[in-house]
Amino acid sequence: MKTQMKRWKQYAALGAAMLVLAPATALAHREAGQAAGFLSGLAHPVSGLDHVVAMIAVGLWGAVLGPPAIWVLPVAFPVVMALGGLMGLLGFPLPGVEIGIAVSAIVLGAMVLAQLRPPLWVAAALVAFFAIFHGHAHGRELPEGTSALLYSLGFVIATGLLHLVGILLGEAHRWSAGRQTVRAAGGGVALAGLFFLWRAVA
Amino acid sequence: MSGWLRMLLLTALALLASAATAHEMSMAEMELRQISPREFLWQWTASGNRPASEVLKPVWPEGCRVEENVVRCGDAGLRGTLAIEGIGKGYSAAMVKVYWLDGQMQVYTIAAGQPRVRLSGPANDTRPGAWAYLYLGIEHILLGVDHLLFVLGLLLIVQNRWMLLKTVTAFTVAHSITLAVATLGVAKVAAAPLNAAIALSILFLGPEIVRRWRGETSFTIHHPWVVAFAFGLLHGFGFASGLAQLGLPRNEIPLALLLFNVGVEIGQLVFVIGILLLERSFRLLEFHWPKLVERLPGYLVGTLGAFWTIQRVAILLRGIK
Amino acid sequence: MRPAAAPKAIVALSAAVAAPVHAHLVETGFGAFYDGIAHVAVTPADLIVVVALALLAGQRGTRAARYAVFALPVAWLAGGMIGARWPSAAALPLLTTLSFALAGALVALNAKVRDVGVAALAITAGVLHGLVNGATMAPAGAGALALGGAVSAIFFLTAILSAEVTALPVGWPRIVVRVAGSWIAATGLLMLGWLARSAP
Repeated sequence: MKTQMKRWKQYAALGAAMLVLAPATALAHREAGQAAGFLSGLAHPVSGLDHVVAMIAVGLWGAVLGPPAIWVLPVAFPVVMALGGLMGLLGFPLPGVEIGIAVSAIVLGAMVLAQLRPPLWVAAALVAFFAIFHGHAHGRELPEGTSALLYSLGFVIATGLLHLVGILLGEAHRWSAGRQTVRAAGGGVALAGLFFLWRAVA
Repeated sequence: MSGWLRMLLLTALALLASAATAHEMSMAEMELRQISPREFLWQWTASGNRPASEVLKPVWPEGCRVEENVVRCGDAGLRGTLAIEGIGKGYSAAMVKVYWLDGQMQVYTIAAGQPRVRLSGPANDTRPGAWAYLYLGIEHILLGVDHLLFVLGLLLIVQNRWMLLKTVTAFTVAHSITLAVATLGVAKVAAAPLNAAIALSILFLGPEIVRRWRGETSFTIHHPWVVAFAFGLLHGFGFASGLAQLGLPRNEIPLALLLFNVGVEIGQLVFVIGILLLERSFRLLEFHWPKLVERLPGYLVGTLGAFWTIQRVAILLRGIK
Repeated sequence: MRPAAAPKAIVALSAAVAAPVHAHLVETGFGAFYDGIAHVAVTPADLIVVVALALLAGQRGTRAARYAVFALPVAWLAGGMIGARWPSAAALPLLTTLSFALAGALVALNAKVRDVGVAALAITAGVLHGLVNGATMAPAGAGALALGGAVSAIFFLTAILSAEVTALPVGWPRIVVRVAGSWIAATGLLMLGWLARSAP
């Protein structure tokens, strides 16, 4: 019961974070120019819930794994995601992007739920694999008339901040009650992933 | 750094150019009378030995055109920079009176030391533009190389943070006092002696910096804030000349004074913080400069202080003769 | 890629890439020198390379940082003067992007670049970005004073940022620097993609 309360608190925090970021979405497509490019870049990763949960899960898992993974994953993820974006921009086909994203939420959520701690290279490879799907799907949607550089920068920064949210939530892992909360959050991510998978396949 | 040198050189050249000779001067008077929202009747109303129209040539704000004695302005109205060419040849200054349709009047003074003024339109619609005063304050300090150099000299003399805080505060308080005094019209200082005195204040810091290098002490090194306060009073009068460009309507003076002063402080703070950050980064990066480079800022303060002093005293003497 | 999206994206992209070329100089109202400073402050492509190199130089220690603090502005000035003289020589979005992506990647990897290597990278990046800077600023009516302002701003930024990075304690603060590097590298990768797609 207590766990569930905590879990709701986590969701509330997540919701609050998203509300803070939401005004940027509203602004994003209104005006052209540099600021708009940056804002829409910032808003893009948070506009799709499937991305949001998967990226928070990366941060959560990093916190569960502890150092050095806690920072290796957030350092590696943006670069590999950008690589995925590069592939998307160059026109490399990547089948089943939506499914890949949904599966990434399921797998990462499950890792957090089960408190799995594989060797660092396995974790990094797994995260990198999924990062390509995320980048491929979302790196290339530049709104018209905006600065590509600022859009890219905003996109990367928003992604990084989502990881940070995950890491901060995951830090609750240090306390025994917090550990259950983190696991619950992982479970929530996995469930959300299942939902997205169902939507992607159906 | 080359940018700085160029800027200093340019400033020096500009000062040289403004040192035009002045003989038996008189004051010209121009009247601008608004006849429709965008049209003004203009004429010279008072002249000296030679008619003002022969010697002086007004340069109207951008967007305004002149046909005979009517000035027609664009949508912006009568706003922007008004300059008068020929000041200094027979006329020491020109007074520009603007009569607005709603009965307001503004007076601007154009002199050799202040060859252009900013027309701001009738007083009641400068409200949204009140921030212009803030902007003008920032501009005045950032382009006022002599003020910045004085602050740099002070920074080279102070030895610790507490002393730094006291010194900068003393300078701020002092120049705020005289800025207010001059703008409210309580006291007035003629431009030429003032400029010479400001140059002298910079020159004064040169030897003090050298004493500091040699490890000697002096009153200034022990109590830089006293010097900062004393000379700050002078620099305040200098700042007031920047604000005087505006031909302020009386009811706006308190607001303008406040915002202009805040602007000056912002500019000064940016400069001080910038210098401190740079100094900190050189220390962190363990730069070992040659002696000459290390002392370059001190030499700059002393040399330019001396140069300006000689030059401005020369201008002063020529004006008296 | 959906076929319908392609022309739209190309239009968008050419607008985005061409934008800096047509951009006129920022006017601070404080004169050309400060306009030059402001130009750096509002040109993300310039800021990002300066930040990347300052992080790299600071990460590699005081000697590397000392090299970079001089190499970058001097190279930038040289490039700027060449670019202002021959503006046509300066359409180098690919190379400028590569330069900051590389610097960012080296920061993210905490790569053991030698001090001379840092200097060489600073010179290369400085000349490249200076070329573009000079070529865009000169037609906009900016003279030597504006370029001087821009170079002063770059000197200032490099010195302060790299000095602060050298002073960071081991641990979290250093990791934050690496994360910043990875973000810059990722931005560069995405930019490369945009550039590749905008090229016919």
